[in-house]
Amino acid sequence: MTTTPAAAPTNLRRVPLAKRFLTFTWLTVGLAIAILVFYTFVQPSIVVDTLVTGGMWALLAAGLALVFGVMNIPNFAHGEFFMIGSLTAFFVFSPLQDAMFNDPAGTGLLKIVAPFPGMIAALIVGFAVGAVLEVILFRPLRKRSRDQWVMNTFLLTAGVSVVLINGDRLIFGNDFRGATRYWDVRPISILGTSVSVDRIAVFVIAMVTILLFSAFLLRTRTGRAMRAVAQDEAGAQMAGISLNRIFVLTMGLSCALAALAGASLLWLYPSYPDVGLQPLYLAWYVVILAGLGNVQGAIVGAFIVSLIQTLTVTYVGLDWIDVVPTLFIILILLFKPSGLFGSEVKGVWEQ
Amino acid sequence: MLKLTAVEAGYDLLQVLWGVDLHVEEGEFVAILGPNGAGKTTTLRSIAGFVPPIHGSVTFRGKELRGTLPHQVSRIGIGYVSESLNLFPSMSVYENLLVGAYTVKDKSAVAATMDTVFELFPRLLERKDQLAGTLSGGERKMLAIGRGLMPRPSLLLVDEPSLGLAPIPTLATFEALKTLRERGMTILLVEQNVNTTLRIVDRAYVLEQGRVVLEGTGDELLGNTHVQEAYLGI
Repeated sequence: MTTTPAAAPTNLRRVPLAKRFLTFTWLTVGLAIAILVFYTFVQPSIVVDTLVTGGMWALLAAGLALVFGVMNIPNFAHGEFFMIGSLTAFFVFSPLQDAMFNDPAGTGLLKIVAPFPGMIAALIVGFAVGAVLEVILFRPLRKRSRDQWVMNTFLLTAGVSVVLINGDRLIFGNDFRGATRYWDVRPISILGTSVSVDRIAVFVIAMVTILLFSAFLLRTRTGRAMRAVAQDEAGAQMAGISLNRIFVLTMGLSCALAALAGASLLWLYPSYPDVGLQPLYLAWYVVILAGLGNVQGAIVGAFIVSLIQTLTVTYVGLDWIDVVPTLFIILILLFKPSGLFGSEVKGVWEQ
Repeated sequence: MLKLTAVEAGYDLLQVLWGVDLHVEEGEFVAILGPNGAGKTTTLRSIAGFVPPIHGSVTFRGKELRGTLPHQVSRIGIGYVSESLNLFPSMSVYENLLVGAYTVKDKSAVAATMDTVFELFPRLLERKDQLAGTLSGGERKMLAIGRGLMPRPSLLLVDEPSLGLAPIPTLATFEALKTLRERGMTILLVEQNVNTTLRIVDRAYVLEQGRVVLEGTGDELLGNTHVQEAYLGI
């Protein structure tokens, strides 16, 4: 963006780099780490909860940030992929669960691997639905006109969200479809708190996925092409990168991550038509906090939001769980409008 | 190798090219000269697929390019170094070059091409891990040309490499283009720096108001009265 004189958004703030970093980003990150370390010794459950939910918000937020960075789409239908993921996982997992009930003496292997087919199915279905949306909705819109793109796609995704929620309601009804637990094992004691295996599994799945996802973006040819498209579409085309192909992949991948989050949290968030709304807002908190389109920032931001949530629940009360993060977001927007890690608004086209 | 016949092109309601005819043969170093707004950049953009011609034809090795998307143009062997360079500012020099080689599957070929680029522009090797957004103007041009070379194109389109550069980096860029040409690269260059350009190219076209008004070898055009009066100030 710096190569084009017309790159307007970069000049919004003229605070010296060093000062900017010292005053806000590192202060916040440092504070977060300090609080974490402090509570490790005082109240370990806060750390455990922060890490478990943070991992899931990271999956959601990373996909949201990716789509905004590469395609400039503020995806307000992202939560519905969470719903699609949990629904898929439910339909794959329940027959397996029934099989385990009917045969309690059955092999231990099934008990260990039973949740995974549902998660893999959620990944695949999420990817497919995301890719289809790109092809049948965003591609025709892009062909027609790119004027007011962010606004138009915002409206489009809000519409998609309504259609998917009500489509779910129409086909599957207003029922909760969940699972009480994935792994029927005793909780494990970590740092003096007992943690269910499901929670640990969720954390491990989130971490492994984020690691693979980051490695994909940073080290592979296709991941590099995605970042190239985010930074300069024309430049990417000059290098022979097909925008359409990258867009399909980006949308599919982002939706697959959201669906995986939904599938992994089936025991906590039973599938319901608008189960995705709360996760959607949280993912947006994270993305705004980290800076729009910044994938790595979103991963760190997810843990910060999760920490704020956990602290709120512990010390203020469950009713305040959405209030405190929102207040925090308002403060961020007032003092650092481009987000904690956003030195510039990445990926937005030069107008 | 490349042939434009009566190409008309423009943006929305503004037509810029009004019938451009030009051709570039294998191994040639050809320049398009002309004042601001004459359509030099639009000519390159219409070859590269960013501004599809309204009328006329663009053929590359006998194949019609009309309707070809920019990334397909790159894949058939036409490298394009745009005026605004279109680098990836948050990627390192090395990564910019790697993305440039996106279409090359063979890793050893990529490494070999990268070595040639570093040999042509030793500065880029020094700055290998630096982010492209932090490079100086001259280094950015080098990187853009380097990235354009990574897919091993047979024809390189270069738009105003001297734009915004001090005299010394400008000369360095021209030297690099000359070296490339000596190694057999076909180059179509757009320039405003008429004097220097005419001394290094084989042939040149003068574009005015969307039409080719003059064409000839570098020496012929240097001796032409119109060129001398309008561009060289003699």
